[in-house]
Amino acid sequence: MDSLRMAHLAPIDYAIMAVYFAAVLVVGWLLRRLMRTSTDFFLSGRSLPPWVTGLAFISANLGAQEVLGMGASGAKYGIATSHFYWVGAIPAMVFVGLFMMPFYYGSRARSVPEYLKLRFDEKTRTLNAVSFAVMTVFSSGISMYALGKLLNLLLGWSFDVSIFASALIVLAYVTLGGLTSAIYNEVLQFFLIVFGFLPLVYLGLKAVGGWSGLSTQLAAVSAARGFPADAYTHAWRTMGDASQNPIGVEWFGLVMGLGFVLSFGYWCTDFLVVQRAMAADSMTAARRTPLIAALPKMFFPFLVILPGMIALVLGGAHAGGQGLIPAKIDASGHTVLDYDLATPMLLIRLFPTGMLGLGLTALLASFMSGMAGNVTAFNTVWTYDIYQAHIRKGASDAHYLWMGRVATVAGIVLAIAAAYVANAFNNIMDMLQLVFAFVNAPLFATFFLGMFWRRSTGHGAFWGLLSGTLGAAVHHGLTLPAGGSIGIKGGYLGILHTYPSELAQTFWTAITAWTTCMVVTIIVSLLTRPRPDEELKGLVYALTPRPRDTERHFWQRPVTLGVIVLVMTLMLNFVFF
Amino acid sequence: MSQASALDLRLPIGGLFTAIGLLVGGYGLATNGDAMYERSLAVNINLWWGLVMLVVGVIMLTMGWRATREHHPASALPAESTPEGLETERREHRKGLEH
Repeated sequence: MDSLRMAHLAPIDYAIMAVYFAAVLVVGWLLRRLMRTSTDFFLSGRSLPPWVTGLAFISANLGAQEVLGMGASGAKYGIATSHFYWVGAIPAMVFVGLFMMPFYYGSRARSVPEYLKLRFDEKTRTLNAVSFAVMTVFSSGISMYALGKLLNLLLGWSFDVSIFASALIVLAYVTLGGLTSAIYNEVLQFFLIVFGFLPLVYLGLKAVGGWSGLSTQLAAVSAARGFPADAYTHAWRTMGDASQNPIGVEWFGLVMGLGFVLSFGYWCTDFLVVQRAMAADSMTAARRTPLIAALPKMFFPFLVILPGMIALVLGGAHAGGQGLIPAKIDASGHTVLDYDLATPMLLIRLFPTGMLGLGLTALLASFMSGMAGNVTAFNTVWTYDIYQAHIRKGASDAHYLWMGRVATVAGIVLAIAAAYVANAFNNIMDMLQLVFAFVNAPLFATFFLGMFWRRSTGHGAFWGLLSGTLGAAVHHGLTLPAGGSIGIKGGYLGILHTYPSELAQTFWTAITAWTTCMVVTIIVSLLTRPRPDEELKGLVYALTPRPRDTERHFWQRPVTLGVIVLVMTLMLNFVFF
Repeated sequence: MSQASALDLRLPIGGLFTAIGLLVGGYGLATNGDAMYERSLAVNINLWWGLVMLVVGVIMLTMGWRATREHHPASALPAESTPEGLETERREHRKGLEH
């Protein structure tokens, strides 16, 4: 493999990586003495200030797949990829902070599934806990697999060594210092990712003649691909018609599918991110967590999407590739662009020895923050919502603390196993991700009804979730993206409709799932007996006193922060309209 | 409630950035004018970005070190075991946001 490697590292590059590894391990080591109770280990003793939990909130989501995937999408779809942030993240983050956090934090639930137990019943909680636990294991496995492949391709490192070394480091600092260690390191990794990628964007823009140079060159690419000249550099202008933009979706599908169902389903219900806010030291701090996270988040498109767009036009194409992006042969034998390499290729092209070490360390940091996020969410849900609820009730706190550490080891071992499964059967992983999408899509309907409609019942929630997932599968089975063949892409129940792109199909699958879950939950709830109001205090909007903000200054209040975040996001949309 | 004072997060971040800043900046200084900087468009990105990271690292270290000293006056009990200590922590959290 040695001759195939694309970059060479010098001792200085390895020294930078070593310093980073030492830093994350030292943090875990220093925090180990603080892990006295299970609350310390799983919830950081609810003691962290909001700027820490806020940065961890986005960092846990900023895995390697996000960094590489957003670069890839930047090259595929252009600046419209920022919809994943400005439409697909920020509004939901404001909503969870202002309206949902009072129930998550205020109910003293220790996890998102536990909220479902308090609000609905045991079976709804278990359904959510089990699917969530399986998903965290597989998604860290998939991301580990992607990392191992990438390091092997770029540096010629062994797939096994890459996987085991990075997993071992995450294992060490999470087992030692629990959630606090994961969160502290996520903040550290956040800074490292920002400082690793900022100079890349600076040099990249300089190389293509700034934004105007990039626009001119992308206009040519856009025209060659059959879109209007401004399709790659304007986020909204070509969204009126699905055939006029590279995403292949019109504004309604985008706003409803991505902006509403998928985005709210992820940011408002996924324990991976909500857990960070639950570790905050007060209700106000918990509510401010996603809002503080939204401030840097809205500028991430410039950090992670721009490199992909630049890689598309910067010269030096390999045979069959475009810009810096090489070609590959896909599963069906066609030659396609290997978009996932867009950001790494730009890194190698522009960074000299030294900065190259920093850039790769930033990539490793993003991988580790994503992995630690999954692992800490997994060990908590396993210990509280599965082990304590079903396997061993009423044990001592020390026992659950011990179980948390065991679950951390087990979760990482399972994730490594999943990475090897991914390596062996690529299609199995695609299928699993599809199933996860089916499971996730209806979730927001359940939480929304649970928090804002006191009449909704446990039976309603449970059957709503199941039928939402089924609805997603049926919609996917009846449709196909343009050019796709029957199977993993859909159409296995017959083809009723063909979408212009896979993303459009995904958005509409999510919309179907959400609507099904909403309707079924309402119908079943009306047919079953509701819980008395007494039991729902603190769990439902109408029966909970409004949280009073204790902050002295108006600009520290969650509502003020939320308005600022939304106005700034709106302005970004106009700038890149 | 003792964790924020037990390890100020700015210390490890500051330490990491100071170390990386010295490494990258020092390497940039040593290799100034090297042919490899053609890749980075004739900018000695190692030197400049190393300096930026060094400055950021030192600022973080200073802030973290000051806050830690405020928490643990040399003669007193561990800060978290006194009411004043708890109060200082609370104030510290609020301050943390402004940085």
